[in-house]
Amino acid sequence: MTLFGQILANGILLGGLYGLMALGMGLVWGVLNIVNLAHGAFIMLGGYAVYFLFTLAGIDPFLALPIAMVGMFCFGYLLQMFVLNFIVRSALLNTLLITFGFDVVFVYLAQLLFTADFRTINPTYSGSSVDLAGVTIPYSTAGAFLVAILLAGALYVFLDQTRTGRAIRATAQNLTAARLYGVNPRRIYALTFGVGAALAGAAGGLFGVVSQITPYIGITLTAKSFVIAILGGLDKPLGVIVGGLVLGIAEAMTDLYLGSTFKDIISFGLLVLILVARPAQLVGRA
Amino acid sequence: MNERLRYGIVGAAIAALAVVPFVVSDSLVQFGINALLVATLAQGWNVIGGFAGYPSFGNSVFYGLGSYGTAIAMVQFQLPFELALVLGALLGVAAAFVFGVPILRLRGPYFAIATLGLSAVMGAVVANVPIAGKNIGLILPLFKGDRLFYELSLGLLVLATAVVLWLSQSRFGAGLVAIREDEDAAQVMGINTTLYKVFAFAIAGFLSAAAGGIHAYWITYVDPAGSFEGSLNVRMVIMTLFGGPGTVFGPVIGAFVLSAISEVLASKISTVASLFYGFVIVLAVIFMPKGLLDVIQGVRGSGVRYFGANMRRFRL
Repeated sequence: MTLFGQILANGILLGGLYGLMALGMGLVWGVLNIVNLAHGAFIMLGGYAVYFLFTLAGIDPFLALPIAMVGMFCFGYLLQMFVLNFIVRSALLNTLLITFGFDVVFVYLAQLLFTADFRTINPTYSGSSVDLAGVTIPYSTAGAFLVAILLAGALYVFLDQTRTGRAIRATAQNLTAARLYGVNPRRIYALTFGVGAALAGAAGGLFGVVSQITPYIGITLTAKSFVIAILGGLDKPLGVIVGGLVLGIAEAMTDLYLGSTFKDIISFGLLVLILVARPAQLVGRA
Repeated sequence: MNERLRYGIVGAAIAALAVVPFVVSDSLVQFGINALLVATLAQGWNVIGGFAGYPSFGNSVFYGLGSYGTAIAMVQFQLPFELALVLGALLGVAAAFVFGVPILRLRGPYFAIATLGLSAVMGAVVANVPIAGKNIGLILPLFKGDRLFYELSLGLLVLATAVVLWLSQSRFGAGLVAIREDEDAAQVMGINTTLYKVFAFAIAGFLSAAAGGIHAYWITYVDPAGSFEGSLNVRMVIMTLFGGPGTVFGPVIGAFVLSAISEVLASKISTVASLFYGFVIVLAVIFMPKGLLDVIQGVRGSGVRYFGANMRRFRL
């Protein structure tokens, strides 16, 4: 029973992080109608940003997170403003291809600059943990989970309560009408993409604390984020977190009962199954 | 350009390519084999991605299965290469049907992600199959003869291009283009869209798997990581895109041009070549979404303004 409880806890803690990864992707998809295949690469870049802030500048990873997020926000904002805004209205195939191209560029730039070595962010408290009813919970993992939940809540408040958030939602619903009410779509698109990149960056930093970073982690994380975004619904930040928990628990259980080689097989089997079983018209605008 | 002259040029080009291995150095022949095989992959992607408009990022799965099918037939069942290659290619066709029927119901990003997932997981699946040599893979019998492999690869590319030429002139190909432009409308017009898409996927599967089979016997081994290399998808997509998706000769020209450039770059650092592919995708989508062949026509018509017009067309 404790083993089951432990695995369940592991799944939930990892799932929160998955949810955070999917948030940014779902936001960009829902508002801009761009399925960002470079989302996993953003996560990877955020991970390296926090890693280097920690190892070179000695900043605690949880304090480095906001810095990395600001950096990734600016990066995403500029990318959308000066590149993606030019093709955002073209066929979906083109936006898929260009973000795929970005993914390739970022992955190999990272390989060139940072090498292919495995990196882990190891603060002094990374080994210590708390014991709850026989279930061991590492501080760093629990911290990552909490930050993920907090950011999801913050995104919800931002979209729901602020003027800019309302402008983003209005743009998602009807671009022309939003424009008539004085919303500058180029700026809103860039802002939204920047927020998506910042969330990815945060997820990457946390991923580096609980797992390992290489230049190649991106593509599987992109696919997982995509499936979670569908599971949770594009316009519901809290639903996305729940979607993340489902995948996290499913993966942890597979790991326990079938062995770790089957982990990716199951999670991608699940991916294809969900895609096939769940009619596309229910969610998003494919 | 009239029809007869065009066929004459193509025939001369094939003849010239066929003579190449007898006059150039061994390393150049090896480069040629790789370029021909990747051009075949690009042509296969052209069928499903260029004509039918379904952006598959999982054609490497067919390539890997073709490699493995050929290897298993030769190593485990001692079959001759000719037969093994056919079996490998048929394995690709079978995979196209098995995966295609559920996955091709998905559209746009859903389809793209499903194929991406498939390509990410297939290597891990094969690594658990005993007959495929699990994690280690299989060693094929040694056969030295780069010229033969070159001619075989050239033959396959000619076949692939002939298939695409047929597509461009046939009812079937027109149906695929109709699906690309508006699938619902195509269905209303009486096209059996599911059947068309699955057949297009099967053609891509056949060509990609055959290329994989030839490559496996040439390098004499298969292993899960190498045979299901995801970066192959990058290359076939970008070559088709660069040359001109949905055209007959675009993917071949794109493959030759980009292979040559990346070969030069890779002689410095191999990462630089991969980086180059990424930049080409980004720039091609923005400035030349219809490919190299369209650029040649467009620039002749309106000069440098052609690129500006492309850039402004979809601007927000």
